[in-house]
Amino acid sequence: MKVSIFSTCLVDLMTPSAGKAMVEVLERLGCELDFPASQVCCGQPTYNSGYLEDSKLAMKNMMLAFEHSDYVVGPSGSCIAMFHEYPKIFKGDPDWELKAVALKEKSYEFTQFIVRVLGITDVGARLEGTATYHRSCHMTRLLGEKETPYLLLEQVRGLQLEPLKNSDNCCGFGGTFSVKMPDISSQMVDEKCESVVETGADILISADMGCLLNIGGRLSRKGVPVKIMHIAEVLNHTGETAAAKGGIPS
Amino acid sequence: MSLKTDKREFGERTADGIGNTFMRSAVSSAQDSLKTRRLTAATALGDWEAWRLVGQTIRQHTLKNLDFYLNQLADNIEARGGHIYFAATKEEASSYIRDVVVSKQARKIVKSKSMVTEEIEMNKVLIEAGCDLIETDLGEYILQIDDWDPPSHIVAPALHKDRNQIKRVFTEKLGYTGDESPEKLARHARAVLRQKFLEADVGITGCNFAVANMGAINLVTNEGNGDLTAAIPKTQIAVMGMERIVPTMEEMEVLDNLLCRSAVGQKLTSYITVMGPKAPGESDGPDEFHLVVVDNGRSEILGSEFNEALQCIRCGACLNVCPIYRHIGGHAYGSIYPGPIGAVITPLLGGYDDYKELPFASSLCGACTDVCPVKIPLHEQLIMHRQNIVKEKRTGAADRFQMKAASRLLSSPSLFGKVLRLANPGSRMMSKHGRIVRGPGLIQGWVGVRDLNQPVKQADSFRTWMKERQGGTKQ
Amino acid sequence: MTTKNKNNNRESFLNRVASSLGRERPYNVQRPDIKSMMPDSYGTLTGADLIDILKEQCFFIHTQLIESTPEILQQTLDDLIAANGGGSVITSGDSRFACYDLSFQGSTEWSEAAGREENISRSETANTVVVFADYVLAESGTIVVESRPDQGRALHFLPEHYIAIIERERIVLRSTQAAAALNRRIEAGEPVGSSINFISGPSNSADIEMQLVVGVHGPLRATYVLI
Repeated sequence: MKVSIFSTCLVDLMTPSAGKAMVEVLERLGCELDFPASQVCCGQPTYNSGYLEDSKLAMKNMMLAFEHSDYVVGPSGSCIAMFHEYPKIFKGDPDWELKAVALKEKSYEFTQFIVRVLGITDVGARLEGTATYHRSCHMTRLLGEKETPYLLLEQVRGLQLEPLKNSDNCCGFGGTFSVKMPDISSQMVDEKCESVVETGADILISADMGCLLNIGGRLSRKGVPVKIMHIAEVLNHTGETAAAKGGIPS
Repeated sequence: MSLKTDKREFGERTADGIGNTFMRSAVSSAQDSLKTRRLTAATALGDWEAWRLVGQTIRQHTLKNLDFYLNQLADNIEARGGHIYFAATKEEASSYIRDVVVSKQARKIVKSKSMVTEEIEMNKVLIEAGCDLIETDLGEYILQIDDWDPPSHIVAPALHKDRNQIKRVFTEKLGYTGDESPEKLARHARAVLRQKFLEADVGITGCNFAVANMGAINLVTNEGNGDLTAAIPKTQIAVMGMERIVPTMEEMEVLDNLLCRSAVGQKLTSYITVMGPKAPGESDGPDEFHLVVVDNGRSEILGSEFNEALQCIRCGACLNVCPIYRHIGGHAYGSIYPGPIGAVITPLLGGYDDYKELPFASSLCGACTDVCPVKIPLHEQLIMHRQNIVKEKRTGAADRFQMKAASRLLSSPSLFGKVLRLANPGSRMMSKHGRIVRGPGLIQGWVGVRDLNQPVKQADSFRTWMKERQGGTKQ
Repeated sequence: MTTKNKNNNRESFLNRVASSLGRERPYNVQRPDIKSMMPDSYGTLTGADLIDILKEQCFFIHTQLIESTPEILQQTLDDLIAANGGGSVITSGDSRFACYDLSFQGSTEWSEAAGREENISRSETANTVVVFADYVLAESGTIVVESRPDQGRALHFLPEHYIAIIERERIVLRSTQAAAALNRRIEAGEPVGSSINFISGPSNSADIEMQLVVGVHGPLRATYVLI
């Protein structure tokens, strides 16, 4: 299956490990990958700030970058949800509406692609530890994907998953919201951090790098030793027993 | 009270809210319990999504034919011997009400909960006219006797107060001698207010929905004060926002179910009443019935890009799930309409001059849109507000500069390539031990609260790795 | 179309609404067919099912449901009134009180002849009120009563204790059925009471710290008697 990787600007700038892990997992699952180099950003930061016309430049760039792709897969529910908004934004635009619809229809968030397109829930991962999962608002509500991360994590050997209290509450990231209204955002992320600590987990997992940088950055500022991992990194973790992949269930 | 409840700047109001630890724990525990109750009641209805669609259909149909249904309502109210008055502005509405009260030579007024009467500043006008006006909803009554403290929630107006604060107010203002148990406080209010009901000349109520084909209004309550207000005084004045109307009881029934379940997690509240002028032969109820239909800016929303905001049935569910409301509380919005729906309609009714921050006070998490029983796309409307505010150049030069620069960068592969190359070395001056510690504008907004690693070096970046991997180093 | 009250701004107001909607004023409008959109999550129910649903719901609305029969109804009611601490009783003037041969010691009645002040004063001084339900909604534990010359509005709200007699055959599943029946009467031009009350248990409030208090302005306690 031919898949184009959408790395997202946060992975490009800040967290290459999540992108690398995604690539390795998808290859292991038999996908043939390419990376359209002209991609940049989905346009969400400026779009959500109210700069509609300016944001369209970034959106058009993405539609062109992925024009010839069969599937587009990215490690962020939020960025993919933004792609899914394109048809609404370009509705009635004769040059771009169809391209917008086409991009929406072939775009999947990483876990969604594995479960819904590849039909796989066990990717053979192993990770010893106690973790909790933060569901991102954009992935669950705007993209409407509530299940696939859990389905995949349940199959990770050695991983103990603890439920996160108030998991449906936003972590306070919200893109530019986090920097434009830091006073409010910090209260939100503080409560999220408390909930994470309450679980007793050593690892915080999410499918959105924005939330992870926010919660992780706050945990680090408070000196709380919880490790953050993108779900791709978890699924790419085969540990010492990588050879026995798909073997012994623990 | 008017739409505006606080003259201070948004930042000051927010800081006040964040610093109010009692209010915040009250709000978060209320949110947590209401969330579960709402969910249980919604689930009990069966296919909730299908019901939301019915609710949305009813509201959109009614708005699309609003003039028809208001006309039908007026005909039927008049046929039943009632009066209906159409007020274009808040001044028209409150002076009409004052004139009715004056013409009845009435002094004693009991009132049940109504947000729109706050919006038209009716209380102020009536009190200035020398009336003795009593709010009879328990929450509103608490606020009134506490020198008209503004409401902080559209369903539970006194949510920001705890029982000890309420006891203190009761002791000071009512000579209450009991303890702080909610039950005893409520009983005391019952006794005081019972007398007020019996003495009142005029009763003023809101209106959850007017029922067009009946010429009646529908009140949805729990305490019983709304019904007493409409039973005992000889004159009743009901006030409604012009959009709060349904064709028949069949649509009303659907919306009442959505409202009760969404607002308080009850299947139906204790008292749902469809009422109008007293009929011949009946002993109580209003001999004289006035319905005041208020526009006050709504006709400008109708048919506009914000049309769907008028679908609102004031259940408050969006407040109860909002993570922003959770931390800043209702007063920080500076409006009688707080929370997500408040952030949408307050700027529409009160203008961007006073309220341009509200649409930005959202992480766009979409919880409000998800929970709305009549499917108002609340977070999308917040983005629409942001677009208008940007178009009117109200966000400030610095914001405009940053966002224009960002959009150029985010749409240009070559420019972005340069940034990827320069981000790490460029951030060295702002960093210590690989971590950014200070920075201009938005960066400071981030690092003031959270740690942030320096951007990766180009050699270690995902793109470089991917390029090498695809360039034949594949294992 | 003419307007009776020339000074109520009706025409200018409605014209402004029409202009916001970008069209002329409509003369006729077809309601959307919401019935076909409404999900039915219950399927077919028997009378016994309805009673079960009602019983379960009464628990949630802090309302006691007592099963009785026409034969022992008087006794059931007398016991309940005594349990409420006795005191005076007021009833509506419903003819069913005579049908079931019910009477209460020292009771008063809401009647057209008594007039506003007297009826309100009787209700205010009564400890218990007894009424018959017109419809009963099993799902929400609601009784529906309509104002009439012999049954006022305040009757349901002033006494401390509320007793509603429910005849089995008046139980329907939910508000949908009651609203449809009432709307049929309205569409047929039949007179309806000036106040139609859907009452689900005693009055309550959660305005103080969101803690539920049962009994605020209306009755402190509600009891349904099923016959």
